[in-house]
Amino acid sequence: MNSQHEGHDHHLTLEYQPALPINNGKLFMWLFLSTEIMFFAALIGTYIVLRFGSIEWPSTHDVHLSEPIGAFNTFVLICSSVSIVLAFEAAKVNNARLAKGWMLLTLVLGGLFLGVKGFEYQAKFSHGIYPQHPHSQIYEKADVNYSGAVRLHLDQLKVPLLGKKEKTEEDNLRLSVLDKIGRQLNVAEVALRDHPDSPQGRILILQLADAIYPRASVHAHDGQAVREQQGSQFVSPSKGASPFRLAGNTIDSSVPSSGERQVGATLVNTEHAATGEAGGTGGHLVGLNDQYPWLQLPIMIPGGNMWASTYFLLTGFHALHVIIGLLVFAILCMKTLDCNWSTTIENIGLYWHFVDLVWIFLFPLLYLF
Amino acid sequence: MSEKSTSDTHESHGSLSIYLSVFVALCVLTACSFWTYSSLWPSVLDSPYIKRAFMMAVSCTKAMLVILFFMHLKWEANWKWVLTIPAMMMSIFLMLVLIPDVGLRMKHASNERMKYEAEIPAETEEAGETEGTTSQGKH
Repeated sequence: MNSQHEGHDHHLTLEYQPALPINNGKLFMWLFLSTEIMFFAALIGTYIVLRFGSIEWPSTHDVHLSEPIGAFNTFVLICSSVSIVLAFEAAKVNNARLAKGWMLLTLVLGGLFLGVKGFEYQAKFSHGIYPQHPHSQIYEKADVNYSGAVRLHLDQLKVPLLGKKEKTEEDNLRLSVLDKIGRQLNVAEVALRDHPDSPQGRILILQLADAIYPRASVHAHDGQAVREQQGSQFVSPSKGASPFRLAGNTIDSSVPSSGERQVGATLVNTEHAATGEAGGTGGHLVGLNDQYPWLQLPIMIPGGNMWASTYFLLTGFHALHVIIGLLVFAILCMKTLDCNWSTTIENIGLYWHFVDLVWIFLFPLLYLF
Repeated sequence: MSEKSTSDTHESHGSLSIYLSVFVALCVLTACSFWTYSSLWPSVLDSPYIKRAFMMAVSCTKAMLVILFFMHLKWEANWKWVLTIPAMMMSIFLMLVLIPDVGLRMKHASNERMKYEAEIPAETEEAGETEGTTSQGKH
């Protein structure tokens, strides 16, 4: 009681003692980043389990991923990390003009990163690589489901062309291409129906899938890829031939001759010969889908669906973080970035470095593993 | 509130030369992980496991550089441990809970799973012929 009276009398001043010697903004940014670390740790951990646990996983070139582009994006993000830290240093010494300059540079670099990412996404989308149906054209196996999907797609392309009264030269060309592919498909399906126990039919569908969308991992190393797999042997292709052949197996006389079987392969392989084995667009082989962009036939990439799901999820969440960072940078660019703003810049800088940090791990995991 | 104390802790560090040398180090390290992809990688070490271990080591080094210098943790007071250690433990736990999946998925694939691995369900075509020739890998 006494002390209370004394307190009233002497106006006891309370001293505030912060638990941590940092401001609230920074504390909460670090707490937020802790949750973010857990979020991305879970995502990346799940990716690793799915990637190394899956039976098949496409190589980066199978799915049109370019390592140099990924490395360039890494470089861009590192540059932006430096520029944001320099913006913070400039704001700390009250150099608002310089701080704004660095902030603008960070904004531009972040935008460049997103632009490159968008370009990469476009490369996937243009090949029918989407994470989900109905856009996704990816099939896991060259089986009857795949051949059925190809047939359906061919019919969908053919019907409006046949219905036309006056066909242009282009229409006739398209019809002849569709017919050629259709014939190869017929041959494969007939072989599959008549000889269900022979691998012949499946190999024919595999050849068709390879003609539509040649996978770099199969044609790799100047056509010297030899992949021994169960039941069939992928032998190295001689120039202008499909790598999928039946090794050491006498071809049944009722199965159509190899001349007919190679229709689709020859369709593409004239292009192969023109561009060289490792040629094509951006180092990729040219398939029917590339040669005739209007085709957009279903493609066969073993493990492709899981790859697409994980790739778009991881890079999508990362890109979302980049977008949020860019929004804050854009707002900050409208302010006078003197020393009053230095703590804000420090906090958003911490966030931006974290985004950079995530990419540091995503780049090797997605592009180089 | 603690504006003063923050500015105090930030006094004597983070010069331009430090940031630039960290930047150069990061670029060199990025080139190092890209090196594993290029044909210049020594053929003696041409194993995916060595490459992956090397890339992860490079990534961890890069992450440490960013955290220490760009995020200023090198110069922060002891409060940094209060935040980083629990977060680190939580991430390690998150990794640990994946162990059953690692055990169940990575070393073994049942026939059942081989058969249905990411396959488009058969709707219109006859089933029974659908065993693919391409997706048999590990067992």
